[in-house]
Parts: sequence; C-alpha cells; structure tokens
Amino acid sequence: MYIVKRLLTMIVTIWLIATLTFIIMKSIPGDPFASDANVLPEEVLQNIRAKYNLDKPLPVQYVLYMKNLLTFDLGPSIQSETRDVNTLIADGFPVSAVLGLQSLVIALLFGILLGIIAALNHNRLLDRLAMFLAIIGISVPSFILAPLLIKYFAVEWKLLPVASWGTWAHSILPSIALATTPMAVIARFMRSSMLEVMQQNYIKTAEAKGLSPATIVIKHGIRNAILPVITFIGPLFAVLITGTFVIEKIFAIPGLGKYFVDSIFNRDYPVILGTTVFFSTILVITLFLVDISYRLIDPRIKLTSNKGD
Amino acid sequence: MKKAFASIFALLLLVSAVLTGCGSKENAEDGAAKNIKQEITLNAMSEPPSLDPAIASDTTSGWVIDHLFEGLYTKNQKGEPVLGAASDVKVSEDGKTYTFTIRDDAKWSDGDPVTAQDFEYAWKRVLDPKTGSPFAFYMYYIKGAEEYNKGKGSADQVGVKALDDKTLQVELKSPLGYFDKLLTMWTFYPVKKSLVESNPKWAAEAKGYVSNGAYRLTEWKHNSEVVIEKNQHYWNKDTINMEKVTWKMVNDATTYYQMYKTGELDLIATLPTDAIEQEKNNKEYKVVPYFGTYMFMFNVDKEPFNNAKIRRAFAMAIDRKAIVENITKSGEKPAYAFVPYGANTPDGDFREVGGAYFEENVKEAKKLLQEGMKEEGWSKLPEVTLIYNTAENHKKIAEAVQEMLKRNLGVKIKLANQEWKTYLETTDQSNFQLARMGWVGIFVDPTVILDFYLGDSPNNRTNWVNKQFDDLMAQAKVEQDDKKRYELLHEAEKVLMTDMPFIPVYFYSQNYLTSPKFKGIVYPVNRYPDVRWAKKIAE
Repeated sequence: MYIVKRLLTMIVTIWLIATLTFIIMKSIPGDPFASDANVLPEEVLQNIRAKYNLDKPLPVQYVLYMKNLLTFDLGPSIQSETRDVNTLIADGFPVSAVLGLQSLVIALLFGILLGIIAALNHNRLLDRLAMFLAIIGISVPSFILAPLLIKYFAVEWKLLPVASWGTWAHSILPSIALATTPMAVIARFMRSSMLEVMQQNYIKTAEAKGLSPATIVIKHGIRNAILPVITFIGPLFAVLITGTFVIEKIFAIPGLGKYFVDSIFNRDYPVILGTTVFFSTILVITLFLVDISYRLIDPRIKLTSNKGD
Repeated sequence: MKKAFASIFALLLLVSAVLTGCGSKENAEDGAAKNIKQEITLNAMSEPPSLDPAIASDTTSGWVIDHLFEGLYTKNQKGEPVLGAASDVKVSEDGKTYTFTIRDDAKWSDGDPVTAQDFEYAWKRVLDPKTGSPFAFYMYYIKGAEEYNKGKGSADQVGVKALDDKTLQVELKSPLGYFDKLLTMWTFYPVKKSLVESNPKWAAEAKGYVSNGAYRLTEWKHNSEVVIEKNQHYWNKDTINMEKVTWKMVNDATTYYQMYKTGELDLIATLPTDAIEQEKNNKEYKVVPYFGTYMFMFNVDKEPFNNAKIRRAFAMAIDRKAIVENITKSGEKPAYAFVPYGANTPDGDFREVGGAYFEENVKEAKKLLQEGMKEEGWSKLPEVTLIYNTAENHKKIAEAVQEMLKRNLGVKIKLANQEWKTYLETTDQSNFQLARMGWVGIFVDPTVILDFYLGDSPNNRTNWVNKQFDDLMAQAKVEQDDKKRYELLHEAEKVLMTDMPFIPVYFYSQNYLTSPKFKGIVYPVNRYPDVRWAKKIAE
C-alpha cells in the first residue's frame, strides 16, 4: 500500500517538474534559431519551427509534449539535426553514470571511514587530521580542485591522462575531484553520528558482554550511526548530478551534463525538457530507494505514520 | 627441485630480456630509417553541430568538412581558389553562364565516380526550403535560387543543371567577380545523390558516410572525438601527407592547454589569456591575423547616436592600442576601418591600400562632441548604456572603454551584459544604443565583410541604411573587372566610414601553439588550420 501511494506521488512530482520547466523555459527570451552568422528566410524558418511544433500555440505544444512523454519519446533535438533526445541521453548517460557512481563509492567509502576513524580517536591527532581534511574538502570547490589535480597528477608527474574519456585511467581524476566535497560532508556526518552512538547505553552493554571492539564498532556502532548518512544519499545524488556538469566540462567528458548545460544556452527546448525529466526521474527513484533502505537497516522505523502513536 | 625451478626461471628471464633488448634495438633503428606515423591530434573544442555540408554553419563543422570534401574549386596551400573536383571551366561572354567539366578521376570515398548530377542534387538540396539550410542565401546569385528557397519557385527553375555525367552548367542572375572564391565554401560541396536519397540521416554517423575529398570519416564518437583517414580514392592523394587526423573535443581552455603540454594534443588555438604571457616567447607559439572585426554598433535611431558627429567623437576617444596590448594580447591590430587585413587585391592588401578612415584624437573628439550636441540642442548628453554578451574578455574591454570615455570625453556611460541568445534578441529588436558585435568573413573577400551593413542585411542591427552604399555594393558584385571591383568596394567603405554607424575596435587575431614535430600546416585567415599537406617529422 505504501509503495503504491509512493509511486503515485513520484509520478505527480515528475509531472510537476516537467510542467514547471516547460513554463520557465518558454518564458525566457531568446530564440533557438537566432544567430549572428546565418540568415534563414521567414519561409524556411516556418518549416523548421513546424518540425518542432514551435509554430503551434503554447498550450497545444504542452499537450503534445506530455503525450509523447507517456510513450517515452522525448522528441528531436534542435541543435543536432540527426540525433534525437533519446539518443543523446542513451549516449551521454552511461558516461555520467560511471563518473557519478565511481564518485559516490569514493565519497561513501572514504567519507565513512574517515568519520569512523575520527570518532574513535575523538580529540586526538587522527581526529583533528581527519577533520582538517574535511574542512578542505568542503571549502575547495571542485572546479578549483580539478585543475590542481590535473596540474600535478597529469602534467607534472605524468601519472594519469589530463582529460577526455576512454580508459579507466581517464576516470580517476574526475571521480576524485567530484567526490571530495561529498566525502568531506559524509565524514563529518559520520563522525558526529558515531560519537553520539558510542555514548549510548547499549554500547556499554555490549562492552560489558565482552564483545570484541571490532564487533561493537561494526555490528552496533556503524549500523546505528549510518542512518544520517543514508539520509544524505538523496541530496548527495543531486549534488553529484549537478557536479558532473562542471567536471565534465573541465575534463572534456562526453556525458549528459554537458548536453544539458549547452541545451540551455542554445534554447534547445526538447533537450532541456528531456534531460530535466530524466534527471528528476532518477532523483525521485533514488529517494524512494533510500527510504526503503531505512526500513531494512533499522526495523524500528515505520515508513508510514500510525495514528495514535 | 625448488632450486632447479628457480634457475630455469632465471635463465628464461635472462633470455627474454636479451631478446627484447635485441628486438627494440632493431625497432629503434627501423623507426629512424623508416616512416614516422603520419598522424596528428587536433582540438575541435566542441562537438561539430553537423557534418552535412548543406546544414553546417559554423567553423568547427567546417574544419572537419573541409578536409573530407572537395568542391568545384578548392583552396591551395596559399589559400587561393584553384580548380578541385572540376578539371575545366568555361565562362560565357556575358559572365552569367559557367560550364564546369568534372574530373574523370573524381571519386567518392567508396570508389564510385563523382558526377555532375551529384553537384546538381547537392545544390538544389541546399536550396530546398524543407532542408532548412542556414547558408542557402550564398546561392542566391544563381538564377531561380532565391525564389525556390523562399517557396515561390520550383527546383527545375534553378540555374544549375547536369548536362551529362561530367558537365555541370550554372546560370547566374548577373556576373559575379568572386564566384571562384564562393565555390570553395562548403555549402557548394557535392553530396552523393544515391546515398543521400536513400538515407536522410547519412551524415549522423561515420558508418555509411561518403565524401569526395582528401579524407574519409572513419570514426565519430559523439561529444568525444572525430577521426578521419586518407581517402585512397582521392584523385590528388599523392599530394596528401597526413594519413590520419583525430579531433578531440575539449572546451575548457586550461584543460586543452595542459593537454598540449603533455603531448595529448599536437595543436591548440585560443590559449587561455594567462598562458599567453608565458608562451609569447616560445618557438611553438604563433599568431595569425583572423579575417574579422571587433566593433561596437551604434543604434542610429536612438539618441544620442542619431548624430554623426557624436558617433565620430566616441570612436576617436578610444585607445585601441591599450586594449590589444593589455587585454586581448594576441597581436590584434587596431581598426580604423571595417575590412580586416588579409584580402589580397591586384593592388595589394585591401586594408593597406584603403588605409585608415579616422584617427584617435582626444582634442578633436571633444570638439566634435560639443558640435554634435549643439546641433541637436542638447546641453547635456543623454545617458548612454553599452551592452555586450557575457564573456570575460568582452567585460574587460567594455570596462576599459567606459574608463576611456570618462577620461577622454568626460562622458560617463553605463554597462550591461546579457547571455548570448537573449543578447541577440535584444539587439534584433533595436533595444540598445551601443552594442558589441563581431563579424568574420566566411570567405576572404571585402564583399563578405561590407555586406554586413547593407540596408536589408539581417545582421545590420544599427538601422543605418544608405542608398549610395547599397548601390556601390550592388555594382561591385556584378563588376567583372577585378581592379574596378575593388575600387568600387573602397568607395563603398569610404561611404560607410564617413557615416560611421559603428566603432571599429580591432581586427581579430588567432593564437596557436603547434608541436615542433609537424611541418607544413597551413593557417588560413578565416578558418582553423589546414593539415592536408602537413608532415610529421619527429616522434
């Protein structure tokens, strides 16, 4: 029952986002066909506009677009004559996904590790070191870190390629650049969460029971402390997705982020709508999965509120 | 047992080391004596929007297309138009009818012969209103072309006909002095009729893509790279050295600069400004004039720029040398006219012959400003806003100009910037007083530059319309005598600069870093580098 209600909410959310984007997109000035170089006679322009339904009144355009959306047809791209939006997404998304997932793994793994180390060494050297790294990660934006990484790892020490995509080596620097800020945030979350958990009575009970420190930390400590981090995964996904735009530009990675940003400057309406809907869908699904995982990690959490509780 | 194993293993290691040592020594000697792989990696900076000659309207697409195709005329190493796919041309007495003979050995990259029908089909396809070609207007000199493109005529009435497989006849509305130059434009390239008719998406991927030039398209990883390789069916293939050209697509200036430094790119253009200082004295650094002009357009319908003296005053009060030396730093030349350097005429370079039409003079400028204001009856100059499209360099130049006008003319102007598409709309609607614009000649002839200010040119957003200018330009277009044609163009420029509906700032320049491993790269003044005759001389 919960799942059904949730799915409906998701669909309504995506529909709302698509509608809002449509309205905003059509309100800003600028014509996709305006250019300083070419001269399209009015008659030819009319033909082209018709191809994208741009000659019809706005409400009609909206209905037509929503209709196509139901069949997952995101339409033709204005900028690219021969490739439609579905193709653009199919080409670009796998690349962005690899980049995003790799960064997610790095951020989670090292963030959690760093947070645990800090918490277990509270106020000692390792804690201060870990938190110092975290501050740097949060303060230095990815577009400053990226060129620095390139300068040292690629140009000076020649360990990795500077940019572009192809081999696994190409994905290392971009993933690190993208993961640094999220990793720092996760580290701080994990640390404060762990600190709080380790003070709890049940930890003292476990110690009294004679369990090994490792078992205590892993089975009882982390499992409880990790909830705030899981909560963060939702927004983290959003951060990673938007972060890829900058990273993809700097590292010349052929991902979806670049198409998205370019399409806005070009007023490529179908691509703008298509990628927005696509990203929103991913985000909404991720949030749903995160909520489900709460239940799995902590059986005490009820996903619905019971009246009278 | 273990010992025996170990010693056998050690022996094997030793033997393999010796063998590879011998092997690599041989290879090293081979490398020196035999051929160096003729491959070059360039940077396209972004995905080419289209590799269809009928649709392409930007220089990135043009860069790739110019290596893949060949028109009736092509450019030689000096950038001059010479016969390419055509072996012969005959022009009628009245200059209106051209008869081209297509080369016997002109072939498509799949081995089929290039025919006159391919040319006829390609040109009519450009003019077909359904194709939506942004550069169809370049063909309007042909009889019936404009009518067909605007939906008022039929394809049969267009003056391009294949008389037989190897003969193409073109009928112009009037004689055209620079028709040969025009024919080097990619819009006039042939496409394989049978291929395009059967597959409208023929230009979307490398598979199935057919062209008739020095190279063929072998790989297109969208948004990532384009690879082309020597076309073995090209009639002139023996003059082509470079076997393989790869374009990466790196947009970030700092990134592609780093990639040049690590050798991942062999040639880059438009260095990041902070790198220019360091690389200025590098042998690999090169500056080439670019056939375009950076200017500020006046809106002659809006106060105060409806007054010619005030316009002139503003133009004379700007220190152009300061701008090109401190802001753009790429060897740009200050502009005191409209047509840039680089257009050769029988009397010499057009710009050098034409000279400057005004000079910077603060005292004169102040005087003109006062006279202009008096003429209009203003005691105070109406407020002026300068707009530009958002970009780092435009901002710096606008701020410098603001400071110069304050200091030299005592006029305080405001600045405003807009994102590109919004900016185009704003200037289109004449919603400005002073607006930045750039104009590059798509082929190297003063006509293409001066056409910008024709009364009916959609690019002319200044509202300046001058019948004398339009008439002179029209006369120049049909003038068959070269010398007389350029005289008319000089006269037209004189009319333009007397009224000065814009402030010329500087003529563009392009900077490059090229790996010393390559020789023979050609740097045209209005295109990216041509690598057909380039040779790699070291690994």
